[in-house]
Amino acid sequence: MSESSIYRKPVAFAALATVVVLAGTIATMAYPMLRPELHPKVEGLKPLSPLELAGRDVYQREGCVNCHTQTVRPLKSEVVRYKGNRAPEPSGQYSLAGEFAYDHPFLWGSKRTGPDLAFEGWIKPSKDWHYAHFEDPQKVVPRSNMPKYAFLRRNALEAAKVQASMRGLRTLGVPYTDADLAAVPAVVEGKTELDALVAYTVSLGKAVNRAAAGGGEVDLEAPNPFATDVAAIAKGKALFDANACSACHGDEAQGQEGVAPNLIDDRFLGASPDLPDAAYFAMIKGGSDAKKALGRPGVPDGGMAAFGGDLSDDDIWAIVAWLRNQKAHEAAEGHPGGH
Amino acid sequence: MNDYRYDYRTVQGFILSAMFWGVVGILLGLLISVQLWAPAANFAPYLTYGRLRPVHTNGLIFGLGVGAIFGLFYYITMRLCKRPLLFPRLARVQLWLFNAGIVAAAVSLLLGQTQSLEYAELEWPLDLAIVVLWVMLAVNVFGTILKRREEQMYVSLWYIVATVITIAILYVVNNLAVPVSLGKSYPLFAGVNSANVQWWYGHNAVGFLLTTPILAMFYYFLPKSTGLPIYSHRLSIVAFWSLIFAYLWTGAHHLVYTPLPDWIQTLAIVFTMFLIAPSWGSVVNGYYTVGQDWTRMRSNYLTKFFILGITFYGLQTVQGPTQGLRVVSQLIHFTDWVPGHVHMGTMGWVTMIICASIYYVVPRINGTELYSEKLANVHFWLVLVGQLLFSITMWITGIRQGWMWKATDEAGKLEYTFMDGVIGNYPYWHTRTLAGIIFAAGMVVFVYNVLMTIRKGRAAQAAAGSAPTTVAA
Repeated sequence: MSESSIYRKPVAFAALATVVVLAGTIATMAYPMLRPELHPKVEGLKPLSPLELAGRDVYQREGCVNCHTQTVRPLKSEVVRYKGNRAPEPSGQYSLAGEFAYDHPFLWGSKRTGPDLAFEGWIKPSKDWHYAHFEDPQKVVPRSNMPKYAFLRRNALEAAKVQASMRGLRTLGVPYTDADLAAVPAVVEGKTELDALVAYTVSLGKAVNRAAAGGGEVDLEAPNPFATDVAAIAKGKALFDANACSACHGDEAQGQEGVAPNLIDDRFLGASPDLPDAAYFAMIKGGSDAKKALGRPGVPDGGMAAFGGDLSDDDIWAIVAWLRNQKAHEAAEGHPGGH
Repeated sequence: MNDYRYDYRTVQGFILSAMFWGVVGILLGLLISVQLWAPAANFAPYLTYGRLRPVHTNGLIFGLGVGAIFGLFYYITMRLCKRPLLFPRLARVQLWLFNAGIVAAAVSLLLGQTQSLEYAELEWPLDLAIVVLWVMLAVNVFGTILKRREEQMYVSLWYIVATVITIAILYVVNNLAVPVSLGKSYPLFAGVNSANVQWWYGHNAVGFLLTTPILAMFYYFLPKSTGLPIYSHRLSIVAFWSLIFAYLWTGAHHLVYTPLPDWIQTLAIVFTMFLIAPSWGSVVNGYYTVGQDWTRMRSNYLTKFFILGITFYGLQTVQGPTQGLRVVSQLIHFTDWVPGHVHMGTMGWVTMIICASIYYVVPRINGTELYSEKLANVHFWLVLVGQLLFSITMWITGIRQGWMWKATDEAGKLEYTFMDGVIGNYPYWHTRTLAGIIFAAGMVVFVYNVLMTIRKGRAAQAAAGSAPTTVAA
């Protein structure tokens, strides 16, 4: 070691160490920040509504990010699991950089103790399901390890707090207008933190169209080709389980109070009488959107997801065949399920 | 010699604080491990998993880790500069501020005040407090080095200087935010850019809080404990510069297959692979150092802490880069494999070296011998078994889980629901709690042994009937 060695000159040593750690810092953190590809925005991206933003604040506060990710990777099985394969555009099958332009900070997470939530607004649009699930997860998903968040229902939202959040984000470039701010008191009036969290949850992934192909026109006269096909009925039951229909409608399609309706009683969308097989077919294929064509409003923000992208027409008819068979059984045994 | 006495009490204050927060952090780790398989163990709103996990991670990184860094950096700096601290009272103020800060941090996290950035959860008032604490450290370390009485700076001082500088840069940039209230702010960066900055920070917080400071301890306390000189000075030099150069390029390996541009991911993966070399530079140097006389493994109880510690560092720095590869990441990312990996580093490498360093320092600054080598051995085997059981269990279940997420039939339909994977985790999560109990028991033995050593030192000094004197190591 020579007399002039840098290991004898602390100032020079510290300066050199700084330069060395700045190399990678500049190349991989600072320089990318200057490039437009780190600031993309999907067309028509809107900031969260005041209620959704309040929900995001609750999501952050409760540390949901510790167990849930919010990014669907471009992997085949993952795209299928989170129903990205329903998206009409191939690029919409997985999470896009441009969806997160207003996320201060990103909430992609690093661990999936629970499922990814990036597309939750498409996969589980049912607010009823989310209310029931947040209040008592195990009631809806029996062996879930998620904590109960019923206490959120007791916490009223404060307009001033939501406005402060919006103002803070506005200084960072999120386009909230004065009108948006002025509307907050009316929007959050009487709302709780649980309302906000549910609103945020069902907003996830909505910046990109990931809707399944809808049911289109409904012909209530269309017959079920598998009405009496025993193999198809068994297949229908298997499909009912495999697509997690039971998560909302119960193991035997008997419904769950406050979550999702009974599918084997004499009602349809909350009204009597029941409708023919083709109505069930339309609802499974097109989700709640099909309600309009059926002329029955059901619950206001009905949360039936569309399965037209996942299931063939034959598959859907098989499920309907099983539901009908189930209904017949219940009737024969004299105790219609649910009521 | 008495010049050191006041400073050593500050050093010991940091060590005892670190041990206290370490035990708290580990017990919280046990609680959240139970919450994973028993949701009824969540006590809303303050004691749910979502709020407690950051208390666990922050408590151990900032309470145990940074507390030990403060104390042991001061000890090493004084020894290597052959002089007391330049600002001893500042260090004492820092000790009290540090403990007050950790209490405030824990309370704020339980209240749900969080930036939602991993290892940077703390909100802006606490960020400011941490900056103040770090400046205090920098002033004392750099001041003492500038006024040193030994011309040559030894390897440990290089790592200390690099740590102080790099953490300052990382922490300030990643915590830039617009406050909207005392407990809430929005980070400056958004979306994909926010992710990139966060993992540049997150990975290097691991690099410069849980690697370089521990290497500083390793390079100082290994030769001190064993009496064997570091095998190769040249290897120390090459490993140091290449390590601190390469580390900063690698953060994006946490974002493989996310919407982050591919070129940043790929660059990070390449540098991550390269990082094996400097990491193993220190591993090899450690092995060859003890290799000069392997009988020390038997004759000196501390040697095995250092050798096992550096072994886990070696394993960690091969496993980590492997995980960065796309083909591995797509299987294990987001699974329980990851906590398995992290805990090998924290329980196997970081805690092992910190404990060994404390075992070396505490008897010396109290003018006595360790209370019980036998208990130190019990501690060693308990933490080793606990850590191996923890990590291996998590690796197995992580692979199982990743495979279940991927499994599809011939038609491309998924074989398993998400809940199938969760339910499959339960037996492994039970085992992890058991592993945590074993590890925690080991740490309790450690704390007991250290406290009894201090007591023994006091008793000896009282018996000698004189004012306490301090023995220089």
